[in-house]
Amino acid sequence: MIQKFTYLYAFGYMLLFPWIVTSQSEDSIQLLTKELQFEAGNAIVLEFSNSNKDLHGLYISNSYGSIVIIPIVEDGMLQYHMPELISNKSGQVTWKLLNTDQPISGAFNIYPKQDVATLETYLGPPSIEAGGADYTMLVVVPTDSLDNPLKEGTSVLAKHQFLSSEKTDTITTQNLIAYKNIYSGTETGRILIASESLGSHSKEYDVNVMAAIPTDFSISADRHHAYADGNQITTFSTSIIKDRYDNVVSDGTFVEFFITNKQGNILKTSGTTIKGIATAKMIHPDHEAQWQIKAIIAGMAESPMISLAYKQVISNIDVSFSENNRFISVGPLQSFMKQMIPDGLQVNVLVRKNGNHIKTLSKSAYEGYATFELKTDIFPQGTYEISIIAAGINKTFKERKVW
Amino acid sequence: MVGLNKNILRSLLILSYIIIITLVVYGISAIYSYLNTGADRSKMLHTEIKKIDQYLPKVQWTPLNNEGRPMDIQTRLDVENDYLDAWYIKHLAYKTNSKQGIDDYYTEHARENLFDIIDLNASENTIVESTTLKHHPTLEFFSEDGQLAVITDNNVVEFKRVYKDNIILLETTEVASYKVILLLEDGFWRIRHMVKFKVETYKSPPVLTSVKNLSIKGINYYPQATPWNMFGDDFDTDIISNDFKIIREAGLHHIRLFVPYEGFGSANVNKDKLKKLRQVLDLASIHDLKVMVTLFDFYGDYTVLNWTLNQRHAEMVVSALKDHDALLAWDIKNEPDLDFKSRGAHNVMAWLKSMIDLVKTTDPKHPVTIGWSNIQSTSILKDKLDLITFHYYDDHEVLEKDYLLLKDKTPNKPIAITEYGMSSYSGTWNLFGSSEKKQAEYHKKMQSIFSKNDIPYMSWTLYDFTEIPKEVVGRLPWRKNTQKHFGFIDKDGVKKASFSYISKE
Repeated sequence: MIQKFTYLYAFGYMLLFPWIVTSQSEDSIQLLTKELQFEAGNAIVLEFSNSNKDLHGLYISNSYGSIVIIPIVEDGMLQYHMPELISNKSGQVTWKLLNTDQPISGAFNIYPKQDVATLETYLGPPSIEAGGADYTMLVVVPTDSLDNPLKEGTSVLAKHQFLSSEKTDTITTQNLIAYKNIYSGTETGRILIASESLGSHSKEYDVNVMAAIPTDFSISADRHHAYADGNQITTFSTSIIKDRYDNVVSDGTFVEFFITNKQGNILKTSGTTIKGIATAKMIHPDHEAQWQIKAIIAGMAESPMISLAYKQVISNIDVSFSENNRFISVGPLQSFMKQMIPDGLQVNVLVRKNGNHIKTLSKSAYEGYATFELKTDIFPQGTYEISIIAAGINKTFKERKVW
Repeated sequence: MVGLNKNILRSLLILSYIIIITLVVYGISAIYSYLNTGADRSKMLHTEIKKIDQYLPKVQWTPLNNEGRPMDIQTRLDVENDYLDAWYIKHLAYKTNSKQGIDDYYTEHARENLFDIIDLNASENTIVESTTLKHHPTLEFFSEDGQLAVITDNNVVEFKRVYKDNIILLETTEVASYKVILLLEDGFWRIRHMVKFKVETYKSPPVLTSVKNLSIKGINYYPQATPWNMFGDDFDTDIISNDFKIIREAGLHHIRLFVPYEGFGSANVNKDKLKKLRQVLDLASIHDLKVMVTLFDFYGDYTVLNWTLNQRHAEMVVSALKDHDALLAWDIKNEPDLDFKSRGAHNVMAWLKSMIDLVKTTDPKHPVTIGWSNIQSTSILKDKLDLITFHYYDDHEVLEKDYLLLKDKTPNKPIAITEYGMSSYSGTWNLFGSSEKKQAEYHKKMQSIFSKNDIPYMSWTLYDFTEIPKEVVGRLPWRKNTQKHFGFIDKDGVKKASFSYISKE
C-alpha cells in the first residue's frame, strides 16, 4: 500500500516538475548575471537566458554543504534566488545547472560584511609568571552579524593595561584570526585586556601575573622559653619570600621545615605562605636537645640552617616504692621554677629480670606525679631490675625485691 | 504402600523446597547484579576504546610550522581524528538528512549552518551522498593555551552524488580548499568556522599512451588445491613455483592473479598476505612470467561512504607491488558489470572511476584495466582505461567478428581477452555436456583465431578444481560441477587433451 502510494507520488511529481527527470536539448541557455562578488546578507539571484522554457534545477555548494533549488521564470529568464543559508555565508560558492546538454557551471564568491558584530575572544593561559619571559595569548576572531569571520587583513586593536602602563597594538587578521602575545613585566598584578575592531569593542578580560619562582630566604624561631618542657611550642617563620624581581611569592607557597636533632633523627613540619611568610610549629622536646633547622621550598629555594638549644628542666627524679615494692610513685616532677611539670610528660618504667626485659609500663605525668603498680599476676614474687625513664633521665634500681 | 507414598511426598516436598530456594537466590542475585550494572567505573568514564575504521581518506599534513604554540604529534592526531570525524558525521547527516552526532563535532553556532541545509534538503527531498578522498591540511595556528587551532585544508577532493526524490541529479567530484577554526570543547575538537576559499576543477590522472601491442599469452592462475583461497594457510611456494614452471614451459608468458578484498584484511591490509603476494610475484619473476593483478575480488559494496576504506586497501596493495619487475598491469575488479543490476550501474561506475584514478595516482607506470564479463561492456569507461580487457565465454564463431568490430571502434587502445575457456564436464547434472575432446577442439579453434588476428589472451584456467566456494558460481550443482572442469590439467595432475592447445593451435 505504501509502495503504491510512493509510485503515485513519484509519478505525480514527474508530471508536475518534468525538468527534474527529463533532459532536453537547449542551445541558448546562458548565464546573464555577470557579478561574481557578493556581500553576505545581500540577496543573490543568478539569471539565465532560456529560450525553450525548460526549468532546470540548480545545484549549489558552499562551505558547509550542498542544496538543489528550482528557478522562477521571469520575462523568459530563469531566476535562481539563493536561499539565505547560501547568501548569508561567506566563501566560494559553486553551482551547476542540472540536466543540460552541455555542462553549465560556475562559481562566485561571497565576502563577509565589513562590520563587526562580535569579537570572539579567546585568552589564555589565565595566569602567567612575572619576569618578562612568560606571556598570555589573545586570539580574536572578528565576525560579522551573520557569523562569518571577517576578511583577511582586518585590523584589530589589542589593548592592555598593567599598573600605570596602557598599550594599544594594531594586529591584523590572518587565517581568520588575529592574535597578540602579551608578555608579563617584572611586577606582579593583573593585566586587563580588551580588543576593538571597526568600532566594535570586546568585553574586559584579565590575566593574573603571578610571582616567579622564589629565591632563597632566611628563617627564624620564636619560643616562650628555652626549656625542654615537652609542653610549649616553638614557632618557625620564614622571612618574606620573594622572587628575583622582588615580588612576594603567591600565597600558599608550600614550605617544609626539617629539624635534625643530636641523634640525627629528623622531625618535619610545614606551612604555607601568607604574604610571603610561612610559619610552622613544633612542640618542645621533653629533654635537653640541640636542633638544626632548615626550610626548603621543594625544587626551588631553601634557607640557611639555624640551631636551637633546649635546656633540661628536670634534674632529678624522685622515686618511692611502697606496698611490697609493688607501688611505684614517680615525683614530684618539677620544672625550672620548681613548679609541677605540666601534665603530659611521659614516664616509662622498664622492668627486667636476670637481664631479660619483661615489660615497659608507660604513663603521662599528672599534677607532677606518675604512679605505677606491678601487678601480682604479671610480676610474681622475686627480684627485678627497675628503671625509671623520664625527661631524658634514667634512674635504675638494680635489685629490688617484690613480694 | 502408605510408607512409600509418604517418602515420595517427602522427597517431592524437599525437592520443591530446594527449587524454590534456588529460584529465590537466583532472583536476588539477578536483581543485585542488575543494580550493579553501570557502576563499573571504566564504563562511567567511557574509557574503553571502540575504534573501527569507518572513514579513512588520504590525509597528508604539511610539516608542522605553525604560528603560536608548537603542536606535538599526539595533539595533531587528536585534531586530525576529530576533524575527519566531523566530515564523516557531515556526510552521514546529508545522506540521511538527520542531525544526529553533529553536536559533537560542530560548535553551537557552526552547527546551525548544517541544520539549515539539512532542513532545506529534507523538505525538498534532496539527498546528498558524499565522501572526501583526499585532505592536505596545514596547521596555520595553535593557541598558547592549546584550545584553538586554525588549519587550512588544501585541495580536498570531494565526491558527491545528489538525489532528488530518489532520482540521481548529479555526480560530481570537486576540489576545494577550506580554512577551518577548531575549538577544544569537552574534549572534542569542534569546528567553529569553516570557509571554502578556493575551488578548482578535478583532474583525473592521464591515460597511458605508451601501452601498445601487448602480446599477452597467458592464463588465469589458482593452485589446484586452493582455488579462490590462494594466500591462505595452505600457501605453498613449492607448488606455485612448480605450476609456474609448467606454465612457462607450455609457452605462456603471463598469469592473472586475484587479490580478495576481505581476505586481505579490507582497509588495513594484512602484512602476511601482502608478503605472500610479493613472494608469488618473485616466483613469477624467477620463471620469467608477468603478472596481471586483479584487485577487489569477492567485494561488491560500492557505497560512497566506504570508498575511503576501499581506496586505502588498493593503495597499500598497489604501492607494495608497483616497482616489482614481474608486474604487468592492474585489473581494478573482476567482471564488475555483473553487479550493475544488483548494485546499480551508477554506483559501480562511480566507484570504478574513482578507483581507477586512485590506482593511477599511486602507480602511474603500469596500465590499468577492468576485466569486463563480456565484449559488449568494453565501451564502458574505455576513455579512462589504458587497456581494454574482457572475458569471452560465448560461441567462438562470433569472436572474430566482435573482436574486429571492437578493434575498429578503439583503434588506439590495446585489447586483450583475459578469460576464456570451456568446461569438459559431462555427467549427472549435464548429460549432453562437454567432453575433454570438445574442450580440446574449442581451444584449438580459439588459438587459431588468436594467432590469425593477433589477439592477446589469457585462458581459464590451469587446473580442474575439486572445491568451488559458493561465492564463485553459487550453490547449484550443475554450475559448480561445470566450473570444476575448466582446467587444462585434471584433478589428478594429468594433462588433458586441451593442454596441447594452451598456447598454440
